[in-house]
Amino acid sequence: MKIPRFSRKTLCIPYAVFLVFFVIIPMLVILFYAFTDKEMHLSFHNFIRFFSDPTKLSTIVYSLVIALITTVVCLLIAYPVAYILARSTLKRKFVILMLFVMPMWINFVLRVNALREIFNSLASAPGMEWLGSANYFKTVFGMVYDFLPFMILPLYTTMQKIDPSLYEASADLGGSGATSFFRVTLPLSMPGIMSGVTMVFLPSMTNYVVSDMLGNAKVTIIGKFIYEYFGSDWHMGSMVALILLIVVFLSTWFSGGFKSEENVRGANL
Amino acid sequence: MKGTRTASVALAVTLLLLSLSMLTGCSGKRAEVVLRVYNWEEYIDEGGEGAFLFDFMHEFDDNGEVVLGADGKHVHIRDGLVDEDYEEWYTSAMGVPLDEEGPSMIDDFERWYEKQYGVSVKVEYSTFGTNEDMYNEIVLGNEYDLLCPSDYMIMKLAAEGRLEKYDSTFFDESIEENYYIRNVSPYIREKFETNAGLETAEGAPRWSEYAAGYMWGTTGFVYNPAAVSREELDEKGWQVFIDPAYSNKITAKDNVRDTYFAALGVAFEDELLSLDRTDLGYNASLTRYFNATDEETISRVEPVLMRIKDNIYSFETDTGKADMVNGKIWLNYAWSGDAVYAMDLAESEDDTELAFYVPKAGSNLFFDGWVMPKGVTERKTKHAAQAFVNFLSMPQNAMRNSYYIGYTSVISGENDEMLDYADYFYGVDRDYEESVKYDLSYFFGDAAEIYTIPSQAMDRQLFAQFPPADVIERCAVMDYYGEEATVRINELWSRVKAETLDAWAIIVICVTVAAIVIGVVAAKFGGKIDFFRRKPKKGYSLVKQEQDRGD
Repeated sequence: MKIPRFSRKTLCIPYAVFLVFFVIIPMLVILFYAFTDKEMHLSFHNFIRFFSDPTKLSTIVYSLVIALITTVVCLLIAYPVAYILARSTLKRKFVILMLFVMPMWINFVLRVNALREIFNSLASAPGMEWLGSANYFKTVFGMVYDFLPFMILPLYTTMQKIDPSLYEASADLGGSGATSFFRVTLPLSMPGIMSGVTMVFLPSMTNYVVSDMLGNAKVTIIGKFIYEYFGSDWHMGSMVALILLIVVFLSTWFSGGFKSEENVRGANL
Repeated sequence: MKGTRTASVALAVTLLLLSLSMLTGCSGKRAEVVLRVYNWEEYIDEGGEGAFLFDFMHEFDDNGEVVLGADGKHVHIRDGLVDEDYEEWYTSAMGVPLDEEGPSMIDDFERWYEKQYGVSVKVEYSTFGTNEDMYNEIVLGNEYDLLCPSDYMIMKLAAEGRLEKYDSTFFDESIEENYYIRNVSPYIREKFETNAGLETAEGAPRWSEYAAGYMWGTTGFVYNPAAVSREELDEKGWQVFIDPAYSNKITAKDNVRDTYFAALGVAFEDELLSLDRTDLGYNASLTRYFNATDEETISRVEPVLMRIKDNIYSFETDTGKADMVNGKIWLNYAWSGDAVYAMDLAESEDDTELAFYVPKAGSNLFFDGWVMPKGVTERKTKHAAQAFVNFLSMPQNAMRNSYYIGYTSVISGENDEMLDYADYFYGVDRDYEESVKYDLSYFFGDAAEIYTIPSQAMDRQLFAQFPPADVIERCAVMDYYGEEATVRINELWSRVKAETLDAWAIIVICVTVAAIVIGVVAAKFGGKIDFFRRKPKKGYSLVKQEQDRGD
């Protein structure tokens, strides 16, 4: 029996099919809907409507701010953890890492619901009543809780790859702890920071399940708009989705997300 | 080596055959008719513990643990809500003995249909969360045979020609199996024939041609009498939504239509209260107020909605019930069926009493009905679809559904069986000194009344499930707003839900973002973009750039 030989081209076919049906065609459909009206005629009405509506622009701004705060808080928590774990000589550091990653294995709606209940019971304690209506705080808290593993993992893997002899070299050459950190660790962990930021920042702009459940549906982010428009007006919904796509594209581009690994390795910001 | 390969090929072939046979094997015992039913979540008796039949077949001890009747027989049913011989009826109708675990309505329909018509049927049951979700599914071309939209969505679907009419024989009362038309309440029948008196009804398709009723109810406030008194509610009415006394203690619905309706109540309460109730056109004027969507109304309602948002604890769809039971909030704007559910839950779990209130100025009246999308004739499922409606309309089944989901069935029963149901749960002996008469003749026909305790008549489950006539008279049905008005209302809703920044703030932020963008771009392409120098010749580019960078 002859083993069929696959060329590189034929091996690409499954992914190419996937790409066409689940990425390219849906994108084209969104593009089509965004620039047509109810009679399917070409129309820039939705485009103009979006940019002349302070509500939509404000919501984009609010979403960006919420996503930004979430990302920064995630980074501040995750970086030290990843740093310590990567450099420690603990035998069981794998276990500690697992403890951070394990929540990802539990359905996130369940986790957010549990968090909601915890907040509820906390808010009924004396002196904690403010928590009940601190919707933005709760939303950001929930997002951080939800996305933290996505920040820790890439940071940890990047930092683990840093050759320990570089630290030794830095110390040998008279670098203090701070100098070593800022001139060796930080620049070399930049790729991890970048991928962590991308993985946290983008979803937290659209994850309206968190804002609905923890923000009492009083916090509206851009993802909720898209969801609501698809209940009544697909064209406007597609336009909002398209604009979000552009925002995402731009932010990925600026953060160097499209560059190949070698180039990013340097201090790229 | 060769052996391994042969073995693996054989294994692959076996697996392939196995999966193929499983694909086709699912329909090994194939049903002759597949009926695709698309209903609201939790909107039918799904059987099991907590369902009507289970609860009536078992006895419970003080801790709520299941204890079977002393002789292991089904004591409660014999005690007599339905018939003396419910089990006998069940066995003869479904062709199987009554299962102690409590059968689901859908399984029972499959059994009943096959027994009745000799054709096996398989119900593919799926659920939706909002009318709009359901509508999208239909527009996308998903084929269903039976849907359960609300009043305004029935009108929209019918107006767009997406629905199939019921057969005229469906409404023939002389046919034994036409349980719907024989058992439906005269009140509901009249509402469905007149499209509940809506103004758009002029020349529009009748609901009764395209829809058969299922559940109906009102909206109002579930309240906690320990925190809010009835007198307060009488005095404040809809204004509780913006009253700082209830700040963070009240919830609104997280959908535009219900909350817009509530805001109309707040904004026009004085006008609504000053309407003359004795006037024949009272309900029509009320309905007009609650369906106003013109610019002027919207500009009056918008600030009200903003105040509501600031005052309420949350916009919710189903968390309100739990928040109400655990005391987190005092007032929950709710549909009557959810109110019944919340009251039952509070009673059984916390031993607390909640109550239901419908504002004096008027509130919402809604109907959900079964409709058949176009294509049921071609798919030959129309007969089963209509039979499904008829099956649910048997008084025995209407009770089961009502009991399970808390909403009120449109069925009154040929012999007022649903009145017996109300009497069984909420009635008292008429000789009991505190008993009050509760008149339900508008729903059941002449002189239908039960005797009950005052609280049930005033604001408890009976009041919520079977509202008295004076409540119904001050309730308005929500119309389909029309395309243009829907866009207006949705825009209003997004303005309310989102925080809007001032224009200057947006400008400042846009300028900052643009500056950052330009800065980043400049930094990225620094030195690369140079309009004043000519492009280097081919082949020189690399060297040239290196030199430039060196400078």
